[in-house]
Parts: sequence; C-alpha cells; structure tokens
Amino acid sequence: MSFNRNHFYTYLSAACLVGYGWLLLIGRLKPAEIGTSYDVCLIHHFAHIPCPACGSTRSILALLHGDFAGGIYWNPLGFLMLALLLVLPFWIGYDLVLKKATLLRAYHFFENALCRKWVAIPAIALILLNWVWNIYKNI
Amino acid sequence: MDAQNVDMFLMANSKYLEDYQMPVIRERMLAMDEGHWRMLQYMQFNDPVVILIISLVTGFLAVDRFMIGDIGLGVAKLLTCGGLGIWVLVDWIMIMGITRRKNTEKLMMALY
Repeated sequence: MSFNRNHFYTYLSAACLVGYGWLLLIGRLKPAEIGTSYDVCLIHHFAHIPCPACGSTRSILALLHGDFAGGIYWNPLGFLMLALLLVLPFWIGYDLVLKKATLLRAYHFFENALCRKWVAIPAIALILLNWVWNIYKNI
Repeated sequence: MDAQNVDMFLMANSKYLEDYQMPVIRERMLAMDEGHWRMLQYMQFNDPVVILIISLVTGFLAVDRFMIGDIGLGVAKLLTCGGLGIWVLVDWIMIMGITRRKNTEKLMMALY
C-alpha cells in the first residue's frame, strides 16, 4: 500500500497506542494466566490451533519482567514486537519534530528487502518453524 | 496505440482493474506509442477471486497481503494474529477491491 507520510504515521501511532493499551490492560496478569483468561486470537479460539503470533503478549510481559528464557519460550516474535513498541514512538516523534520521513523510507526499504528471494525464503521458513513450535507447545 | 488493441486489452483485463479508472487508462493507452504495446501485453495481474480464496484459507497468515505486494501490512497482520482475527474478517470483504486497486496502480506505473 502506498501511504503518504502523515497517514502512515497516524496508523502507526494508533497501532502503538493499541499495543500499549493492551499491555496496560493485561500487564497485571502473569504470562501463564493470559492464555486461559484472554483468548483474543480468533484462530486459536475457534480452531484451537495457535497462530504464528500467539504467545507474543506473554513473551513481551516475560521480557518486561526480565525473563529472557520465558520471552523465547512464549514466542520469539515478542522480541521483535517489544523492540518495535519501544523504538517506533521515538522514531515517529523524531520525524515529526524534524519534519523528516526517515521511518517511511525505512518501511519502504524493509518492504523491498523482504521481496528479495534470499530474504523472503529464510523469513518464511523461520515463521513456519515458529508456528510449528507454537503448535507443539500448544500455547 | 491502436484503439482496437486498447479495447481488446481492456476487455481482457477488466475484471482485474478498477472500473472507474477505465476511461483514464483507455485515454492514456491511446496516447502511448506502439512500442509500449508489447510490454503491456505481457503484464501479469493478480486475479481478485484467487486472492479472495487465498484470503479465506490462509488470511490469518497474511498470505493474501504478501501476494498482492503489501509486504509491510502483511507482516503487521501476521504479527497481530491477523489483527486479532478482525483484520482477517475485514480482508475477506475488502481484498478483492484492494487487489483491483493494486493491479490498477501497477498498470498506471507502467503507463506513466
């Protein structure tokens, strides 16, 4: 999708806000309690199979409590999502204050990079492996 | 370009493109030289029906978004369990239109 800068930053800020809101709402729980109390993934809810991203919230919460092993166990994608949640607000703020579009350019660079075969194939393989592991763990 | 060729191209590809853009595309194609015809003839478009089927079956893995070239949004959809399932449902309704828009954008890029 070809975003213009302001739309892109608005959607991204909204996504970050939802992410932080979700963490605030659920942060008082222990990671192990979340799967049983808050089954928000419709795929998991109806098909009883975890999706590739199931366990990310639990992973982020484990990481926030300093539990790196738990972070990896619940879902390694939690590292990526936590990194995005921490970095994006500052990056958006930097671009807005200095009237730049470095984040949008990085997004396009990332999109183009993922279109290359030697990046796409390992990325797909990793996601599939993570999914198989998720199903095996029955998160 | 020859009007007959242009009309033939548009008739053959109308199901892949946005209807309201047709007059603009036709005008633009008529104004182009014959050298572009061969390039346009071999352009591949995503079939909205195929993408819809992919969306229905593998929407939660964001395969539909990746196929139409929305890589960034595909990653976002994948990382959020298909937007907690809601995005998957919305895409079942929207994906055909989005595919046509992407096809039209692709053709427009070739035309301009």
